[in-house]
Amino acid sequence: MNVASRLPDTSAAALADRPAKSARPPFLGFGLGLRHQHYDEILNGNPPIDWFEVISENYMLPGGQPLRTLDRICERYPVVMHGVSLSIASTAPPNFEYLQGLKDLARRVEPKWISDHLCWTGVHGKNLHDLLPIPYTREALDHVVSRVQLVQDFLGRAVVLENVSTYIQFNNSEMTEWEFLSELSRRSGCWLLFDINNVYVSAFNHGYDPLTFLNGIPADRVVQFHMAGHSHMGTHIIDTHDHPVCEDVWDLYVAALKRFGRVSTMIERDDNIPPLDELLAEVVRTREIAEKVLPTSKQAG
Amino acid sequence: MSDFARQQAEFQRGILSDDDTVLAEILDSPREKRDALFGVYRYAYGSRLVEAVRNDHELLHLYLGDEMFDEMGHAYVKAYPSEHPNLRWFSKSLPDFLRSNAPYSDHPVLSDLAALEKALNDAFDAAEGAVVELTDMAGIAPEAWSDLKFRAHSSAFRLDLATNAAAIWLALKNDETPPEATVLDEPARLLIWRQDVTPMFRELSAEEAMMWDEAVNGISFGVLCEMLATYDDPDGAAGRGAGYLHGWITAGLLTGVSVGVIDS
Repeated sequence: MNVASRLPDTSAAALADRPAKSARPPFLGFGLGLRHQHYDEILNGNPPIDWFEVISENYMLPGGQPLRTLDRICERYPVVMHGVSLSIASTAPPNFEYLQGLKDLARRVEPKWISDHLCWTGVHGKNLHDLLPIPYTREALDHVVSRVQLVQDFLGRAVVLENVSTYIQFNNSEMTEWEFLSELSRRSGCWLLFDINNVYVSAFNHGYDPLTFLNGIPADRVVQFHMAGHSHMGTHIIDTHDHPVCEDVWDLYVAALKRFGRVSTMIERDDNIPPLDELLAEVVRTREIAEKVLPTSKQAG
Repeated sequence: MSDFARQQAEFQRGILSDDDTVLAEILDSPREKRDALFGVYRYAYGSRLVEAVRNDHELLHLYLGDEMFDEMGHAYVKAYPSEHPNLRWFSKSLPDFLRSNAPYSDHPVLSDLAALEKALNDAFDAAEGAVVELTDMAGIAPEAWSDLKFRAHSSAFRLDLATNAAAIWLALKNDETPPEATVLDEPARLLIWRQDVTPMFRELSAEEAMMWDEAVNGISFGVLCEMLATYDDPDGAAGRGAGYLHGWITAGLLTGVSVGVIDS
């Protein structure tokens, strides 16, 4: 296949905003990130979880137990694909081999949506396997908008992009992160995954009020919340996703519900994976808080 | 190069090396200096990739211990930066690295142990494939047997080890004290594969290894038996060949059996 022919057209006409017109992803309820440590318990116990988010790369494999297990999970639960290697903000050429793998997996999983992060993971053929920060410049915005358009065209659907935790800020940024995300979503048509822990982490690290971030995101573009834990280092917070959700993040969740309404919400634990029951208790809490803040009966009425 | 591209290249160089150029474009935070904050990315890079190697090589980790494994892991990360978006494949060059870089190359058991773990990992998520059953063989006419050809399951892999790494692997797996590392008089011929969802390996005799290697190269059963006759008792060659074949089929090692064209 001729890769060059699929590179983005950077002519002025092609750079025009071309927001994808995909329907808003549905409200799935209260879910959990699928981790292999819980496979048996989930398949044997059918725990009361509304949906699962799976890490796409964990299943972009030739075969074997991971894919077989995923097939069985998909038979029982709605599933969402969440990637870590799309590298949507990278200035390197798009990786069509990766995108094809993602598309092939999506054909198998039939996910409710496909998400990744507003970040880059490497350039010049290297992959740092981290969610790296970008400067919030007009140049970066134009680049990411065109990249999102390309990916959406390739996948045939709008993608969902998540705000990452950041530890540094660039001195050439021309706008805030929330202004960047808002413009990106407006211009490309991508939806937003609002990671409430990441907002908390970045706000602490850069010294702003997380509510300013929250209130700067358009209320109608957020289709998913992530809830997670972190490690506090005193002068900064590291987004380790290896602790229970802290009380400050639960408070921010209440504020997020008030601004964004009922949004598919999930507990995301990436390391130090506890027994399933511990995570189920957090999932129950996401549900209870949502019910308290936005009672279903009132919504229905 | 755009400003954005230049900035990413410098950011990456700052993580992969000690180059601090990118710090000039980074702000101090209200509570911390920029070099400490950038250091979060530097530290995370090495520790995340070493962790990926550790996850793929649990028994090599056990064998070397935390300190030596981490030192080895960081040396590997430096020598083989990741070029694939999926962390699953990051440790694939570890056996080569251990084989060709001192001080690890002075201990060939290390690359052998890594090669065995890599082969088992590869078998774990290898592509699915049909599995030949014994009942599939029942319908084959006796006169067709000498032309039978075999196709290995996609998870099957042959590995020759110069050391007793397989015995060390087994001891570590069973929480036993591993034997002293030794170089064997002749290599251990291992066959690694996945049975249902479980990666397995076993050691083959020189004769069975020869038959397997030739069989998966497309040599027919009749010729395989003639080759077996040169290894041991010629009269028992067909029986031995059938015995090996029976073992492969019951282990789920074959994904296809076909009858070659028979000259009339």
